[in-house]
Amino acid sequence: MKVLAFSHSMDLALELVSAGRELGDVSLLVTSDQEGRINEVKGAKEVLLCKGLDSGDQEGLVELISGLASDYEVVLLASDRRGRELVGQVAHRLGASSAVDVSSLSVEDGKLVVERMTFGGKAIAVEEMSLPAVISVQKGKFKPPEEGEPSVREVSAPSIERRVEVIERKEKPKVGVPLDKAEIVVAVGRGFRKKEDLKLAYELADVLGGVVGATRPVAADLKWMEEEVWIGISGVRIAPKLLIVVGASGQQQFAAGIMDSKVVVAVNTDSKAPIFEQADYGVVMDLYEFLPVLTKKLKEIKGG
Amino acid sequence: MDIAVLVKQSLDVQELRVDQDTGKIYIEDAPTKAGDIELNATEEAVRLKEKLGGKAIAIMLSTGGASGKRQKEAREALTRVLAMGLDGAVLIMGEGAEKGDTYVIAKALAEEIRDKFGLVLAAEGSEDNFSGLLPARLAAELGWPYVAYATAIEVEGDHVKVTRSLEDFEEVVRVKFPAVISVTQEINKPRVPKLVEIVKAKKKPLDQKDFSPPVEPKLTIRELKVPKVERKQIVIEGDVEEAAEKLIQALKEEGVL
Ligand SMILES: Cc1cc2nc3c(=O)[nH]c(=O)nc-3n(C[C@H](O)[C@H](O)[C@H](O)COP(=O)(O)OP(=O)(O)OC[C@H]3O[C@@H](n4cnc5c(N)ncnc54)[C@H](O)[C@@H]3O)c2cc1C
Ligand SMILES: Nc1ncnc2c1ncn2[C@@H]1O[C@H](COP(=O)(O)O)[C@@H](O)[C@H]1O
Repeated sequence: MKVLAFSHSMDLALELVSAGRELGDVSLLVTSDQEGRINEVKGAKEVLLCKGLDSGDQEGLVELISGLASDYEVVLLASDRRGRELVGQVAHRLGASSAVDVSSLSVEDGKLVVERMTFGGKAIAVEEMSLPAVISVQKGKFKPPEEGEPSVREVSAPSIERRVEVIERKEKPKVGVPLDKAEIVVAVGRGFRKKEDLKLAYELADVLGGVVGATRPVAADLKWMEEEVWIGISGVRIAPKLLIVVGASGQQQFAAGIMDSKVVVAVNTDSKAPIFEQADYGVVMDLYEFLPVLTKKLKEIKGG
Repeated sequence: MDIAVLVKQSLDVQELRVDQDTGKIYIEDAPTKAGDIELNATEEAVRLKEKLGGKAIAIMLSTGGASGKRQKEAREALTRVLAMGLDGAVLIMGEGAEKGDTYVIAKALAEEIRDKFGLVLAAEGSEDNFSGLLPARLAAELGWPYVAYATAIEVEGDHVKVTRSLEDFEEVVRVKFPAVISVTQEINKPRVPKLVEIVKAKKKPLDQKDFSPPVEPKLTIRELKVPKVERKQIVIEGDVEEAAEKLIQALKEEGVL
């Protein structure tokens, strides 16, 4: 089977190569801005280098990928926002089947069989897709291959009239340790009354050697933290060995992002909050009273 | 210029019961509703129509089956968005729609939208499926440009300026009508309709049409599984000091400290 792969993020592109190898030979599309990292690509059959197209050009990408795709049975894209934006457009142009955020994939009787989370994380759907298929692969599920030098073939950029013009692009501040790689996470929710109070969470994370994440409203609505740190179905999925959820109700869309955590602790004043069903240990208390005491006691044992 | 707002009849995932032991998912028992982010799309449509003139209409293709209960819920969901200030609604419903994948639904919705609207607003993802596939496919079917994840939309003559939030940066793009735009939850605060508005909404035009599949689906769901997540759900009792001690003890025993 022939697989075409592309991601705006080179790190995710390398994961896609690995996912694609479960199905067959992988051709990885690389755009002009990614050319400098070509030598990191291992395990793909070939690299298709398009020197005339920047990965910031979504319309150009839809055109280019749809054009190249006629030689392939499966197109793999990443499940970041720009990757998912492409899936439906490319699939529809090809008259292909589509799925996003796929965690496993295989071929059975000429169909692509994939698994993905649905119903806000309450179920996993096993889907049978006709070929050709366009899918995005869940982040962090596949480890980049380490061996195998691909050949490089240049492809030309499409010439189309662009209807979407990018007039400004502002980088967001980068966070330290990525949440999905952290061993210990303290997740904060709207139970915190103001931004300054997050200090309580940072102090707890510090003594544990962990990092702080948030619910979507804390990051995206209140903008108390960078958007990279929101946990859940529309944010990051985490798998730490210890997760302490503080002042978050545990709505399904958040809960979907914490399922793979090993031990979950919840601190919430409302004993009926759904987060307690998602937790191994529940503390029904005011975070403003409980966190300082917990942090102090942990300092004592960690310190001496 | 008229605006179409895409409203899906989604399962209320918060209320959906699943049984981890038997793997049963109680889909029929769960209520359905318009997705939260679709209320943001509705709010944005109501605000934009003042600047663009014309009407804003909700369009729903119900995939929940054609039972009386689902039909009632679909109409209630549409009444909810009508009460926020939309001018009318179209409900497409019928046997077979529940088998429709995004390929089928996009084709069916396009028939309702082509030549009638200049702007389509959708949510970045639906409440129960959260894929964002439908608006992207619809844009491709219509041949219109697609901009996802809008956090602000400004009208400037014959085009709109859209601010969108991506993982590592924020982008401002300019796009000409007609276009398909999906919005995020952060774009606005949806108004909460007053009782009188809900009463008035019941009198607004709600046009119900029969669904007939335009094409065969490309994807079928073979099985729905319940992920096994086992949590101990132990409540730590005592005063603040005791609770902290007990928690630390438990985490030590778990080997995570
Ligand atoms: C399609 C879709 C996708 C979404 N994706 C995500 C996502 O990826 N991630 C996400 O997080 N959300 C997501 N959401 C939003 C989600 O539904 C919830 O609205 C959100 O998770 C709630 O955030 P919260 O727990 O911080 O706030 P709330 O629900 O307001 O909860 C605050 C909690 O704090 C508790 N509390 C208050 N005061 C104290 C105190 N002093 N001490 C201790 N506890 C206190 C309260 O009892 C309450 O339980 C999504 C929604 C939709 C519709
Ligand atoms: N059957 C439908 N009827 C109307 N709008 C829909 C339908 N399915 C999806 N949409 C719209 O597309 C958005 C994204 O849905 P999804 O592709 O399922 O994530 C939804 O939030 C709606 O705005």
